[in-house]
Amino acid sequence: MTTTRRAILQAGLALPFMSMPGRAQRASGVLRYGLSAFPPNLQPWVSTGASAGTVKMLTHRSLVSYDSKGELRGELAESWSRDSDGAWVFKLRQGCVFHNGEPVTAEDVKWSIEQIAGEKSTAYMRTQFQGIERVEIPDPKTIRLVTTLPQATLPSWFGNYNTFVIWRKSAPNEPIGAGPFRLVAQERGTSLDLVAFDKFYKPGFPKVKGIKFVVYADENLRFAALQSGDVDMIEYVPWQSMSAVEADPKLKLDSVEGPFMDILFNGTKPPFNDARVRRAIAHAVKRDDIVKAAFFGRGKPLEGLPIVEGTPWYDKELAHGWNYDPARAKALLAEAGFANGFQSTLLATSQFGMHKDTAEVVQQHLAAVGIQCELQLPDWSTRVSRGTRGQYDMAIHGVSSDNNDPDGLTVVLDTSLSPTHGRSFKVDAPRTIAALAKGRSEFDQAKRVEIYKEMQRAALEEVPLVGLAWRSQGYGMDKSVMGFTNLPGALTTSSGATLEETYFG
Amino acid sequence: MSATWFARRLAVSLGLAWVVATIVFLALHMVPGDPAELLLSTGGISPDPAAVAELREKLGLERPLLAQYGAFLAGLMQGNLGHSLVDDYPVLSEIALRLPRTLELILAGTLIGIAVGVPSGVYAALHRGGRFDRIASGVTALLLAIPVFVVGTLLVLLMAQTLRLMPAGGFVPFTQDPVQHFKLLTLPAIAVGKGLAAILFRMTRASTLDALANDYVRTARAKGLSQPRILVVHVLRNALNPVLTVLGLQMGTLLGGTVLVEYVFNWPGLSTPLLRAVEARDYPMVVGIILTISVLFLLINLVVEILHAVVDPRVQAG
Repeated sequence: MTTTRRAILQAGLALPFMSMPGRAQRASGVLRYGLSAFPPNLQPWVSTGASAGTVKMLTHRSLVSYDSKGELRGELAESWSRDSDGAWVFKLRQGCVFHNGEPVTAEDVKWSIEQIAGEKSTAYMRTQFQGIERVEIPDPKTIRLVTTLPQATLPSWFGNYNTFVIWRKSAPNEPIGAGPFRLVAQERGTSLDLVAFDKFYKPGFPKVKGIKFVVYADENLRFAALQSGDVDMIEYVPWQSMSAVEADPKLKLDSVEGPFMDILFNGTKPPFNDARVRRAIAHAVKRDDIVKAAFFGRGKPLEGLPIVEGTPWYDKELAHGWNYDPARAKALLAEAGFANGFQSTLLATSQFGMHKDTAEVVQQHLAAVGIQCELQLPDWSTRVSRGTRGQYDMAIHGVSSDNNDPDGLTVVLDTSLSPTHGRSFKVDAPRTIAALAKGRSEFDQAKRVEIYKEMQRAALEEVPLVGLAWRSQGYGMDKSVMGFTNLPGALTTSSGATLEETYFG
Repeated sequence: MSATWFARRLAVSLGLAWVVATIVFLALHMVPGDPAELLLSTGGISPDPAAVAELREKLGLERPLLAQYGAFLAGLMQGNLGHSLVDDYPVLSEIALRLPRTLELILAGTLIGIAVGVPSGVYAALHRGGRFDRIASGVTALLLAIPVFVVGTLLVLLMAQTLRLMPAGGFVPFTQDPVQHFKLLTLPAIAVGKGLAAILFRMTRASTLDALANDYVRTARAKGLSQPRILVVHVLRNALNPVLTVLGLQMGTLLGGTVLVEYVFNWPGLSTPLLRAVEARDYPMVVGIILTISVLFLLINLVVEILHAVVDPRVQAG
């Protein structure tokens, strides 16, 4: 064989590819995952965002979780039902153990629920859990929850990634869970290492030996890390990179429309205390422009409440109740006494491009109907602080509801709850709030559908928020990564749980 | 070098460090944003006002600003930088973990700067007006003009995403995998070192040209000394003095550029905790890290001044 110059050159070019990072990792069975943010903490009941949720869902378990279609399925509980007295009864699965080898008992469940509902609790689900009057243990494998009011959606509370069952004798800062993985190492701000828990109650799961979470706060670097093979999968694929993921023969994209953008109002400040003005704003914005400008076309206009299409609660007409209609917007403004428009401010943040871009588009469309807004774009911390204190006129926000049941929208629609940056500040929406409460206590599905349509009609008039756009939420991964599912709609942020089913093909 | 001169310089440096710490402390407390509220509201849900109040109390944020400042200074005197408000982690431990990585990056960047800038500067001076000189001068202008994060992003795009020769970013401890450690260090070190290389090139070129024009060089040539000997013994020894001074001063400014480079390449030095802490209004962490960077900066400057004073006693008079 003669050695040609070209052969040498080719060999030289091939060298770096032979040492591609990643192959060795796949052989070791460890999935490398690019997280978008390091969890501020891993406390099982305190909400610290979806990235923390992803890690927590793997180290902890609750009574239920969501399957790949977004339906509730049993985890620590194998079944649940309501008894004749209206109490929710959960039956525990056999053979579930915590990471320290202790069995999961009804006492642990009771203790966990009581901690969440505690007076000084900072748990995300505290308000809901305080609606549980008492927790009874008829036998060691059964938990009976007696609620103060009928609660149709109670089982879904346990599907939330801030509602885990913890070993009741855990030290305050070392919660011991029963998830498919154990946290074995972490470096603050940088990485977390999980290894498979060998006594996990589902035989054959998890399918990988471990997961290494590496934090890439910069979205472009997160994508670069996926493309260069530094990691096997990433969350929050930046919208501008989604087509690049699809075009790369080594990669695949799994995206769903789940979270959404909206406009919030300060109901204590005129003219935003007038529902007609809020409705005028709802009709003034052309949503297509937001989808194009802020999300590179990776989303969908949202001209009503964020109810997922294809669910029983969706109504085509109501879904477009705030259609783009500048003439109607002007008429509504005139009716409210602002025929010549008015001056105002629009709060968003410069820290996240999608918030800023959305705000800019909204500003332009409001100007077209006579509302001149000055943009206020502080950093995220200031945005949160001003939102909670009501120091704004209008604000742009991005959020997802708790789950795909309309009751999951309570967190964004119920303006009677304590103020937060993610909800309008003291906007009057009594009919919407009443309908939400009615839907929560109704068990008949047909009746619930009607109640939530009534709720949508009320909200379209009272305008506790203005829906703007659904945004695509994407996971990017190497083609060899199998078994992961991006859960539908609002549940996309809970998709991390399916990492227990993920494996290398 | 007299003891009083040294004591005066040291006192000035310490005073500056205190001023920096105070400014950062006050500025942070003046911007809006409440650490307790942020800690409890990251999930887009309302934190309970009572829970926020309780956490504020626990974190000591309810005390008057002056009392907080007093406690901070008292801690500082004892070498205690406090604990993170987010997770109660000691600030000093965080700095102890991260600072060596930042220093490693600065050192690697400096070595690259010297390795590239000095020889090419000498070469350009010896071949003044030649093709290399002209091209190199143009390239250095470009290198100085492009910000480090742009260079960093371009390096990631080219080396990691397009050619896939290098990892995009991250960190592996040297003890765990030396090869991967240096692979991960290379691109950020180039990004840190590029500006320094350009400055050193210009400085070396200029001072070498200066030295070459001196009478003693002409005398050496007339004596028939070999070209390499003239270069090493007569030219470089004189030409490199100002280069060393510039190098010392530039290392201080490298600290600033490093923060950006660390972010671009996910190098877990001091920048990640600093950014996270600013976002979370984690006051002790922010003050601790900025204070560390400032002290380093002052320290480098102090060392440069001392070296100056040693080399040139006239400096002490001024």
